[in-house]
Amino acid sequence: MNNILDINDLKKSLEGTPVLKSIDLDVRLGEVMGLLGPSGSGKSTLLRCLNRIIEADSGDIFYKEKNLKKYPPSELRKEVVLVPQESVMFSGTVFDNVAYGPSIEGEANRDHILTCIRDAGLSSDFEQREAEKLSGGEKRRVALARALALEPDVLLLDEPTSGVDPKKKEEVEMSILNFSDKRDLTVIWVTHDLDQAKRVSTRIAALRDGKIGGIYDCDDFDGGEAF
Amino acid sequence: MNGIPYGIQEGFLILLSVLSLLALVVILTSIKKLGISKEMIIAVAKGGAQLFVIAVVLNLLFVYPAWYIPIWAFLGMMVIIGGYTSAKRATEMPAAFRITTPSILTGGALVLTVLAVTRAMPLHPQFIIPLAGMTFGNSMRICSICMERLISEVKQNKAEIETALSLGADSKKAVKNHADTSIRASLIPTLDNLKTLGIIFIPGAMSGLLMGGTTPILAAQYQIIVYLMIVGGGTISTIMATHLAKRKIFNDKEQLREWVYS
Repeated sequence: MNNILDINDLKKSLEGTPVLKSIDLDVRLGEVMGLLGPSGSGKSTLLRCLNRIIEADSGDIFYKEKNLKKYPPSELRKEVVLVPQESVMFSGTVFDNVAYGPSIEGEANRDHILTCIRDAGLSSDFEQREAEKLSGGEKRRVALARALALEPDVLLLDEPTSGVDPKKKEEVEMSILNFSDKRDLTVIWVTHDLDQAKRVSTRIAALRDGKIGGIYDCDDFDGGEAF
Repeated sequence: MNGIPYGIQEGFLILLSVLSLLALVVILTSIKKLGISKEMIIAVAKGGAQLFVIAVVLNLLFVYPAWYIPIWAFLGMMVIIGGYTSAKRATEMPAAFRITTPSILTGGALVLTVLAVTRAMPLHPQFIIPLAGMTFGNSMRICSICMERLISEVKQNKAEIETALSLGADSKKAVKNHADTSIRASLIPTLDNLKTLGIIFIPGAMSGLLMGGTTPILAAQYQIIVYLMIVGGGTISTIMATHLAKRKIFNDKEQLREWVYS
């Protein structure tokens, strides 16, 4: 299996406005696919369709060569995990938040949760801190740790460094790339920052006007031809 | 003294004299230019007429030997009107009537059954109608608060609910905190009333029983039964309503429905 995700002619309208007009995209196993595009180009909508938080109007998505619709939604979302742009914290500690997913099916393994907190670039001091009182950047990391705790196969990151202090941005990028490498994760990384896309991605898909404008290898992509 | 110490005809005369209170209020509100005099007269006339109609019907029902047949129409009407009225507080949720009506029915029916089995409610229309009215009416009120709160909780916290769903939670788990908050919020006014019983006011059922000549101890016992009935019916109704509402909040793919985003 070369491709973990195959997206064919995906269409989605929101409130009557076509947002995804016809998306064709394949995502290779273990790669970091940068999804680059201006605001309103449909990047977040595409991620939400992949996690099945919303339903595409038409088209097909194949995950591990099986149509996404054939997976029970709750089970799929544990494997194809979305980290939305808005890092909403549940009430409770950082530990409670990171343990949220694993605890759905029983007691979360404490060591595993602590490893995820560290992998997301947070020190162990954070474990018992009130999640809702953290800074925006810290919340982003907790949201990452929370997704990692599910041990997903695909991680859908929607602007994972938005709201993060510019000095800390590269630190967050490094921690994502480290755990992606360590866990052999496939990552789709939504960004509108060309430099960031080039720093983190294996390949870059340029999304414009609800369609994939092109898929580029990172090294020979300058953005000009895509936008 | 047992009951009201005068008959129906004398009662009408007394009622007419007490209507002078309405005249006084209308004069006062007119002087203050509050603009509610007309509405007040209409409300008293409408409410009074409704009460007399129901009194005539009850008068017939109480003496009708086969009362156990038409009483079902009464009870059914209470549930349906309660369901519709409660659903009006949840207009954003499509077909909320299908949630509120069975919820009010279940909560009310269960507590009335307990009351009947324990003999707290003698099986006579004189008891069944007022107790059913209180049960269904209060279940409706509590259910309305619950639905209104649930809709507002879900709309305000859709990002949190989506986050829970996106981490593999099912709809039941994703909305649990908000459903629980709605149930608690809807029961607080009733619980507050219960805590202040007899201190700030003597509640309606006890007042009625006292005026009807029942001893204060027996009247207090019955009032407690009535409150247990209200709390019980309200709690069951809201648990049922929040359970049924999940199907209106989420679709079968565990996604939030369109109306939540509007």
